[in-house]
Amino acid sequence: MAVQEVSQEVTPERGRRPRSAQRTSLWGWLLALPTAWMVAFFVSSMAIIVLLSFGRTTNDGYPAFATSTANYRAIWNEVYLELFLRSLTYAVATVVISALIAYPVAYTIALHGGRYKNALIAAIVVPFFASYLVRMYAWKALLSDDGLVNSGLRRSGLTDGITFLNTPYAVIGGLVYGFVVFMILPVYASLERLDTSLIEAGKDLYHGPVRTFFSVTLPATRAGLYGGVLLVFLPALGDFVSAQLLGGANTFMMGNLVQQQFAEGQNWPLGSALTVGMMAALTALMVVYLRATSTRRREA
Amino acid sequence: MTPRPGPELPRPTRRGLLAGGLALGASLGASMTLPGCAYIRDDVPTDAPLPPSAKAEVDGDLVYFNWADYLAPSVLKGFQREYGVKIIESNFDSMEGMYAKLAAGNQYDIVFPIAKWVVKLRQEGKLRSIDPAELRNADQVFYSGSYFNDPWYDAGSKVSVPFTVYKTGVGWRTDKVSTMTDSWKDLWNDEARGRIFTLDDQDEALAMAALILGYDVNTAKQSELDDIKDLLISQKEYLRAYSSDDINNMTSGDAWIHHMWSGDFLYLRQGLADDPTQFDFQAPSEGVPINSDAYAIPTNARHPGTAMLFIDYLLRPENAVKNMNYLYYPFPVKDALPAFAELAKDVPACNVEISDLENENVFRLLGTDEVQRRSAVWTEVKAS
Repeated sequence: MAVQEVSQEVTPERGRRPRSAQRTSLWGWLLALPTAWMVAFFVSSMAIIVLLSFGRTTNDGYPAFATSTANYRAIWNEVYLELFLRSLTYAVATVVISALIAYPVAYTIALHGGRYKNALIAAIVVPFFASYLVRMYAWKALLSDDGLVNSGLRRSGLTDGITFLNTPYAVIGGLVYGFVVFMILPVYASLERLDTSLIEAGKDLYHGPVRTFFSVTLPATRAGLYGGVLLVFLPALGDFVSAQLLGGANTFMMGNLVQQQFAEGQNWPLGSALTVGMMAALTALMVVYLRATSTRRREA
Repeated sequence: MTPRPGPELPRPTRRGLLAGGLALGASLGASMTLPGCAYIRDDVPTDAPLPPSAKAEVDGDLVYFNWADYLAPSVLKGFQREYGVKIIESNFDSMEGMYAKLAAGNQYDIVFPIAKWVVKLRQEGKLRSIDPAELRNADQVFYSGSYFNDPWYDAGSKVSVPFTVYKTGVGWRTDKVSTMTDSWKDLWNDEARGRIFTLDDQDEALAMAALILGYDVNTAKQSELDDIKDLLISQKEYLRAYSSDDINNMTSGDAWIHHMWSGDFLYLRQGLADDPTQFDFQAPSEGVPINSDAYAIPTNARHPGTAMLFIDYLLRPENAVKNMNYLYYPFPVKDALPAFAELAKDVPACNVEISDLENENVFRLLGTDEVQRRSAVWTEVKAS
């Protein structure tokens, strides 16, 4: 509210200069569309989910609004808590592996890519234009028991074949493959901005690339890493595709649970309550995370 | 050059934008509660009189709504050529998805509901009558004494025409497993431990356990559901995954024993396998779920006449045979049945007899509380 009032006080003064007034009104109009879009499709759909989480299902299977807290009581189920912890574990593993992949890749491109930088970044981004679902199916074909990888292994005589599919590792692998680009890009962007003379100075000071990396490069690119962590963690935690296509009998995730309520389970209100509960838990985690990272940034 | 005066436009304030946006959001939200406008609603539909049948005559292009790839392309092409109409295809990936789109008011000329969804759509007055007198090939399915003159899901066969029938059983690799016992308990087989799949389907998975325990496949009794839950959880150590991608799981070598649908098995064995004798199928002795898909015409269809012609075209025995050879599911079209028996002659367990249809193991339309009780059990099985 305060922000709007300030802007209104400021604008008439600017209005005396015609050019800037034109620009302001242009910006106002340009803002109208995205604002309307966000309110119509984002805010109101969130509102419907929140309202529906207090809802019920009618006798003939329709979700209906109501004022019941039964759905919130139903989500306090230890099976669901276990699922949440499992999803959390998978998402954290996904973030860690993504960071381990993203740093060398982004570092090489940013510092040694030369004139091929843009082409290399494009080469990383372009595969992500193909649908996530399609890429998961491709993994199935590659990693199945009689798939390309296993037949290669068998021909090489190294092993009789490895069970990749339907394991937690396959699910985490799918999540990493699905979201690693969201880690590479922000890390790359912050490495790009990094003054390379800092690294050289670091090498003089600390001797050795490893200590230089941890004392100079990593702290200087924290912002990119922090951004990447969020961009990978959030979609990985809510994902259901990887677990559904690559997972086994014991890799059911929160995303699958929610999806189940909206499909076969015929229980949209419970699905909504689970969604709201998960958002609340994530918001709490985010607040802790942002507090911790901003303090560290101030120190740095 | 003098600048042309532009039109006077009031500058929108941010607050104005916000208020306008909120009003838009609120009106969208409000419309969700209006009966008939959308999916989320409060009214309880009652048995409405059935809308009358359309005449079988071209009244526009056909808006077709089916599972993906669920009819022979040559048959679809043939219809377009013969009647000079286009087929505009949309697909659903679940019955819930199909139902939600119909309930939201989307208009389709022909849909393909599974039996219990015919019950639901008919109850809610969402389907038009189909008068067999309008169909030249009606006697192929509605001959005297046909089961489909009065199927369990559509009394008097008023709003549907049978499309396919199928059963659920167990497929397995004969080169890997030698200890099958013609029972659902084979899904707990030690030889194939870790390479067994159960269908990722609430009704099918619960029915499989119910049949072992001797319960009704539609049971919603809490004590019986608890037994089913324990039984299914005991299966998890044998399982590789819950998946409905039965064909691919078998061809990729991931599955040695798969809870699967008869038509999918026949396609796998006759249509895909290098060596068909590596695969076999059983319809377990405890009984098997039988299901059927139907053709139906929604009440709000814009071209019901073309849809009638389309159903009639698909009932021609030669087209039913083409579809069978493409889908490997039996079509209960009288003069096409010998061709299916031939297709399934090496695996007679995949054939569906009329006597199978009269059994009790059909998935009925259940009340919301029943569905939710079953869902809670299924969720707990998958999550534990």
